[in-house]
Amino acid sequence: MVPWIASLLLLGWLRIVVAFAVKGDILWNDMCPGPEKLGRSKVVLDEGKYYGGIQQDGKFTIPGVPAGTYVLSVSTHDFTFDQLRVDILNTTPPAVEVRPYIPGTPLNPPSSVILPHPISLVARQKHDYFVAHESFSLLAMFKNPMMMIMLLTAVMAIGTPYLMKNMDPEALEEMRASQAKIASAQSAFATGDFKSSISALMSDEPAAVPQPQPKAGPAQNKSRSNKNKRR
Amino acid sequence: MRLGRLASSLALVFPIAFALHESDVGVVDWHKKLVGVPLTSSSATAPVFHRVGEETTHSVILTATASNVLAAIYPENGTLGDIFMSRGTTLRASISTKTKVVASLSGPGGATLRTFDILNGHLLLEQRIHEPSHGQLYEPSYLGTSVAYAAEGSDLVVLSNGGLVQRLDNLGTVKWSWSSSDPSALVIFSKVVTTTTHVYAIGLSKTPSSYKLHVAVLSASTGELTQSSDIPSSITAGLNDLMVVRRADEVLVVWLEQGSLKYLTLSPNLQSSSTAVKGSAFKRIVDVGLSEYGQFLAVKDDGSSRIFKLDGSALKSIWEFSASGNTHADPVFSGGRDKKGNPYIAQVRWSHALNQAAVDVYTGHLGKGVMTAYTFPFDTQSHGIITHVTLDCVNPSEMTVVSRLAITTSTGAMQLWQQNQHQWTREESLSTIAVAEFVELPEKVDLSHIPKERETFGQRLQRQIMEAQDFPQYALKFVKRFATGSYASASSAAVAPDSAGKPYRDAFGFRQVIVVATPYSKVFGIDSSNGEILWSRMFGLGWAAETGGSIRPVKLYVTQTVHDGDSPQVVLVAQRRAENTLIDTVVYHIDASSGENVAPGVVDKDVLEGVDIISGPLVESFILLDHKVVVMLDEFLQVYLYPDTKAATASFTRLAPSLHFPLRVNVDGQRRLVGQQVSLNAELSDRFVAHPTWTLSLPPSEDIQTLLPASHEPIASFGKVLGNRTTLYKYLNPRMFALLTASKAQPASCTIYLVDSAKGSVLHRTSVPASEGVCDVHMSLVENWFSYYYYDPEFTGVGQSKGHRMVTVELYEGSQIDEKTKSSELSAFSDKLLDVSAFEQAYIFPHGVTALSTTSTKFGISTKDLIVATKNHKVLSIPRRVLNPRRPNRKVTAEEQEEQLIHYDPLIPDDPRRTLSHNYEVANVRRIVTAPALLESTSLVFAYGLDLFFTRVAPSNTFDVLNENFNKGQLVVTVTGLAVAIMVTRPMVKRKRLRERWYQ
Repeated sequence: MVPWIASLLLLGWLRIVVAFAVKGDILWNDMCPGPEKLGRSKVVLDEGKYYGGIQQDGKFTIPGVPAGTYVLSVSTHDFTFDQLRVDILNTTPPAVEVRPYIPGTPLNPPSSVILPHPISLVARQKHDYFVAHESFSLLAMFKNPMMMIMLLTAVMAIGTPYLMKNMDPEALEEMRASQAKIASAQSAFATGDFKSSISALMSDEPAAVPQPQPKAGPAQNKSRSNKNKRR
Repeated sequence: MRLGRLASSLALVFPIAFALHESDVGVVDWHKKLVGVPLTSSSATAPVFHRVGEETTHSVILTATASNVLAAIYPENGTLGDIFMSRGTTLRASISTKTKVVASLSGPGGATLRTFDILNGHLLLEQRIHEPSHGQLYEPSYLGTSVAYAAEGSDLVVLSNGGLVQRLDNLGTVKWSWSSSDPSALVIFSKVVTTTTHVYAIGLSKTPSSYKLHVAVLSASTGELTQSSDIPSSITAGLNDLMVVRRADEVLVVWLEQGSLKYLTLSPNLQSSSTAVKGSAFKRIVDVGLSEYGQFLAVKDDGSSRIFKLDGSALKSIWEFSASGNTHADPVFSGGRDKKGNPYIAQVRWSHALNQAAVDVYTGHLGKGVMTAYTFPFDTQSHGIITHVTLDCVNPSEMTVVSRLAITTSTGAMQLWQQNQHQWTREESLSTIAVAEFVELPEKVDLSHIPKERETFGQRLQRQIMEAQDFPQYALKFVKRFATGSYASASSAAVAPDSAGKPYRDAFGFRQVIVVATPYSKVFGIDSSNGEILWSRMFGLGWAAETGGSIRPVKLYVTQTVHDGDSPQVVLVAQRRAENTLIDTVVYHIDASSGENVAPGVVDKDVLEGVDIISGPLVESFILLDHKVVVMLDEFLQVYLYPDTKAATASFTRLAPSLHFPLRVNVDGQRRLVGQQVSLNAELSDRFVAHPTWTLSLPPSEDIQTLLPASHEPIASFGKVLGNRTTLYKYLNPRMFALLTASKAQPASCTIYLVDSAKGSVLHRTSVPASEGVCDVHMSLVENWFSYYYYDPEFTGVGQSKGHRMVTVELYEGSQIDEKTKSSELSAFSDKLLDVSAFEQAYIFPHGVTALSTTSTKFGISTKDLIVATKNHKVLSIPRRVLNPRRPNRKVTAEEQEEQLIHYDPLIPDDPRRTLSHNYEVANVRRIVTAPALLESTSLVFAYGLDLFFTRVAPSNTFDVLNENFNKGQLVVTVTGLAVAIMVTRPMVKRKRLRERWYQ
């Protein structure tokens, strides 16, 4: 009985498992300047069977990771860190490949960028949990663009008759003409006749304006080709 | 740049319907940090006072707890220093303290060593000592592990796995390592002691009848084994009867051998022989925490106890505490030291005569030894008995000793007493809540203005004249209130007047009582407005009080609410396990607003006594909601009712034919699901007996994990009107429940079923992969909405990726739009019940999830958000819109836009503004309970696990109260301004009109 147990135990001890210690450190930056700000955090592989706590000096070690592909993430309360794809290769001695990984994208094919090991991670974003109160202030109310337009209209409505009165008849005539032009352009826009509306506006210097129609064509093509490339 | 754009586009896609303001913190929510119940069975894990600093010292209480936490508690106010949490595995902390560093060993066999800064809780070092898979699982768990500081320098000597000794420096580098060569593990080492030259590993080797002491001597510098031998001894009780006492380099092993106290001085060659203490017989030795300073205590057969001191290389008895006799309960001992390092030993015991705890503190260094005695009023009715004491002393002047005691009680509370002054209490059992339920509080009604009966006309006139006196004041107040008064808004604190200790609700019903029961024999009523404990009661053991036993709460039901007219009442169904292994089912009937016992026929005494219902274990229990009758089933599936009244029996008899419920039963060693119905066979039994009606045929490899019944909440709408004016009718089967099974077949998978409890028909079935062979699936089922979380480990397929997944399923009637089967009213046996179609969508969730729940409101009109507790200690809410399974995977059409559908995006964004728990770190949430408030818009959320967290959410915004931004002053000013403007312009216009008439 005893030797049997002993041999079992020995088997347990001698079972050859490729195990690797993933190492790295958190580099403090302005956003997260030290362990006080970071709080109790750990670095986890996948859903958290393998993990390592982040030490006071920012270093972490995830010991005993068997060969395989993992997603490394930092489990922390207040910060966002990048996620990484970690491959422990089944070689002797085991090797590791670290690649960037964007959450929500397929894990395969792996990125061609290989990051160094030990891993360096920096805080990317600090979480802001609160929304500021909408406070009422007279100045803010008048800073509102709608409010400004309203005020301007009011000023115009009151001021225009006086302005017109003081204008000389020639200038008045000119202004009326330009107003009529704008009005016609507006009505053309409303009906969807862009070309005529633009030409109506630009009738003074037609040569200086490039036609918008041909320009839109290549732009569209360009974006489409981009899309293709991404695929 | 790209991230920024993404964030802004997200903000457009998911408008913030509910967001927290910084000023709401602590007003709408509260958070109670807990550490767990201290592990008092070993001196290595039990609470201990620790002093840090040289000149000005700072004390902290260090303890390892049952919740895998190593905690530092400030003795001044009972607040927490920083705590560390070990995850998953049990923390087997061998706390070894030196200056301001504490070391812990955790995991199987002590696989991981961690050191922390005591003052700020920072992790200084984390080091794997051995592979966890090689860890030996000992019982008790701290066996075979020990940590000691090297005599010089800051190196650590660590014993793990019962035989692996390693010396590590403060960077975690192993200087040397020695492993016991005995692979059959007949010798288990459990203690290391360091001297300047040597390291002693002390253990026990098993012999057929008892244990034998075994010592291995290693060189402190190289780890070389210099000597290893058995010491002739016979120890029967194992480690409890063995202790190591030291003073400087003098190390003594002390053990109890057949009633006699023996000791042996350890020397590098192990040549010395053991000596026995003459004169008396001892029954146990007690490590009071002063073994490093050469003192310990031994209890004699007659109950008296002696303090021993290491003097030179011999033991000397320096004091004797007299036996307790019949006047006192068995004592608890503790040692402590003052600022100068002088040792003190205290004996704490319950005095039956004084009904107080009596303390005797022995001070050895003052004269010939000084004894200080006092009592403190320990409340045994609400805290049980003292299980552990740790002592801290000051010696302000000659012959005065002031001591403070940190005690741990059998109900899991920690208390600090300075002499006889109570300083604070931490109810750590709240970290182990078994059941929790919200209970509404009554409204405070002012009864003073209601006239007395039989009032004559004269009296009434007199009263009304008297009351009219106050009218001018009232009118003034009314105008003032009208012009400036602020009203309670949804984000104001829920305060309600307390009168004569009776709690009442606030205007919106945010203040409720959360009744929670813990396995540490205690039930609490927690005020939901601030997290304070309104009342707490300790369970009585009934007949088992003589033998001792424990109470395990199983279910908690609200049997009477304030709407029923009287005080709110709850019924707690619990199982009582007596020391003699007999299990009974007991019911506790409690008034939720005061904690009083309201069980009929039970006199309310000091402790809460229950009503014995079943003399045997409970198989299942549920409540008949409309009749407020609790139904319980015993092993033989006989039905027991509480309250057992005629009316209850009558209503149960009436309902019995339509009762269907699933039951987990063991068939051939496997858990199977069997549908049950009850019937009465008067010839065989006078009780209703359940009989099986259907069995869910599961594949043989599948084993039932969890069963989740649908939550019964008011349903406001029975369908969903789509953009094209057609309707999807919700599938609302009240008998539907969710079932999770784990398959042992390779590859491991988890299967989720939605089953009808009347016929056992499967309405929906999905299989998800089990990550690492474990089914870590969390589910939530409400109305026709089923959502679950799992971890997907598969990534080899095209486009696949590992990650956390959130799946949302909505069930609708019929196979197409506009088809209606009236599922909520259908007979359980109608074939139309299976006519159901499911919409399903899966999302990538950024975090691991520990608990799921949906918000619940009074009438069910507000949308239901999903409340999620994540592994990074947050509580989030996910809007229902995001989890709509009908989100189109293409451009949103105008019709869909009308339905407020948004384009399908596989990733649920991690929006910090949706974090309900904001800055709070809510650790290890196990369950989330939600309850409606009186406001339809608002739902109360209570999350418990290790910590407690409460907040309130408004998933569809607070549409039924004035917006908090509503500025009454502005409105009043505008209205007044307009009135003034009208008054000014009115004569002007009149004049103008008149002039126009004249001059036209």
